[in-house]
Amino acid sequence: MTVAAAAPAALIPAGRRVWNVARLQFANPWPTVITPWLVLFAVHGLTWSIWSIIAHYAGPTLEEDAFRYAGGVSWLVIYMMVIAIQAMNATFRFALGFASTRRDYYMGTLAFFGIMAVVYGVGLGLLAGVERATDGWGVDGSFYAPAYLYDQPLAVVAFHFFALYLLFIAAGTLVGAMFVRWRATGLYVFFAGLLLLGVLLVWWLVDSGASTAAAFFTENTIAVIMAWTLPVSVVLAALGFLVMRRTPVRG
Amino acid sequence: MTAIIEAQDLRRTFGAVRAVDGMSFAVEEGSICGLLGRNGAGKSTLMNLVMGQDFPSSGTVRVLGEDPVENARVLTRTCFIKESQSYPDAFRAKHVLATAPHFFPHYDHALAARLVADFDLPVNRMVKKMSRGQRSALGAIVGIASRAELTLLDEPYAGLDAVARHVFYDRLLEDYARHPRTIVLSTHLIDEVADLLDHVLVVHQGRLEIDAATEELRSSAATLVGRSADIDAFVEGREVLGRERIAGIASVTVAGLSQDDRARAARSGLEVTPVSLQQLIVRRTGAPTSEEVAS
Repeated sequence: MTVAAAAPAALIPAGRRVWNVARLQFANPWPTVITPWLVLFAVHGLTWSIWSIIAHYAGPTLEEDAFRYAGGVSWLVIYMMVIAIQAMNATFRFALGFASTRRDYYMGTLAFFGIMAVVYGVGLGLLAGVERATDGWGVDGSFYAPAYLYDQPLAVVAFHFFALYLLFIAAGTLVGAMFVRWRATGLYVFFAGLLLLGVLLVWWLVDSGASTAAAFFTENTIAVIMAWTLPVSVVLAALGFLVMRRTPVRG
Repeated sequence: MTAIIEAQDLRRTFGAVRAVDGMSFAVEEGSICGLLGRNGAGKSTLMNLVMGQDFPSSGTVRVLGEDPVENARVLTRTCFIKESQSYPDAFRAKHVLATAPHFFPHYDHALAARLVADFDLPVNRMVKKMSRGQRSALGAIVGIASRAELTLLDEPYAGLDAVARHVFYDRLLEDYARHPRTIVLSTHLIDEVADLLDHVLVVHQGRLEIDAATEELRSSAATLVGRSADIDAFVEGREVLGRERIAGIASVTVAGLSQDDRARAARSGLEVTPVSLQQLIVRRTGAPTSEEVAS
């Protein structure tokens, strides 16, 4: 018996295969695109109300930087990490059932979350711009560029959120890949590893690293510090791919 | 003859379980091949290996002459529909149908629309809220309309009622006649699909029990019906695959009957009937050979 002719090229070019997977992640925009903004605006509204009440009763005795520290934005990165884990679990088997390779699936998923990082980075940067233009929403509040971002240029604010998103999403895709491949065992291993890293970090800080670490955060600008997260994100994403490429489809 | 799938001593073990235990076979391009066997025989594991969804413990499988694992050249020419296919949580049937053409280059929208009507599929329903039969129908629609060069259907009609199953067979054959391709179909409803199949692969406990053209397999055995005494005399020394006895009448399935044997049986007053594929496979995969119905 002869063998059917080897296929000369894939029927769908690589770029489109990757884009197909990215589109798959957009299919339900609620958890990834719509809900986070709605929640963010709700939290913003609530924070603003509290600021207004405090400003009203405190009157002129209010300290100048009273409303400079808000945590209303930081939850988003954790949320997106969870979304990344969920998305991988929800779409991996479907995409492979629809004849995707693991490589195309992973690239498409990363592309989707990369786009999300840009959207959130730019979106939060713009909102920080509005915040400054409106004198901190009329109450000198810093919701979108709080604390150490308060006096940074808008481009740095946007880049900060973009890089932070990438970092958490890269961690999320790694966890997602480990979950898809090894189910709960994968998560135990990941968090055990994370704990171990934490212990080693504390050990190093206590032993000799404290001044080095402090120097890194005080001597570098925010932009440089955030830029250093990029190689970390790349490493996490690459590890995720190594896990994914040998993942069987169960069920 | 041209092979579209070729397996050589293919094995997949899960701990101590040998789900696929040294299978070697070839599937001919353009054929409809039945992958038959009991639950847990290794059918799904085998299909997962063929589609690169799982990795062999040893041995090789080639699809279109290449390793299917992570191979877009191969995979973009295939469609693998399985009963356990999972869909993203928020997907309605219409989302699945809108997504399918992105992944299957030969997908035919008009055909899919017709099949939706034939199966009476509620396209606006969330897939996770669908019944098992409706999910199967959705899979069957994608499987037929994708017109992939190689289509693997793993228990494609679990939960479908008899009417829907016949719609499935009809539409599949109709479209196959117009757009020939290779179809591998796993099932345990053997007699229902027997007329569709060019070739059967019967797996049992991870091993390939039968690898034969359907016709050849059917003629490999026959059922003889007659008086017990005549039957016993005739089958003396032959391979008996199955035996039933009702009062003084016996029915025996015998392997390897030649034309002469058939003529001789007819002369001795025995009725020779063709064996059903299902009976034959049931006999070969573990049913007791003797069955006392009544005495």
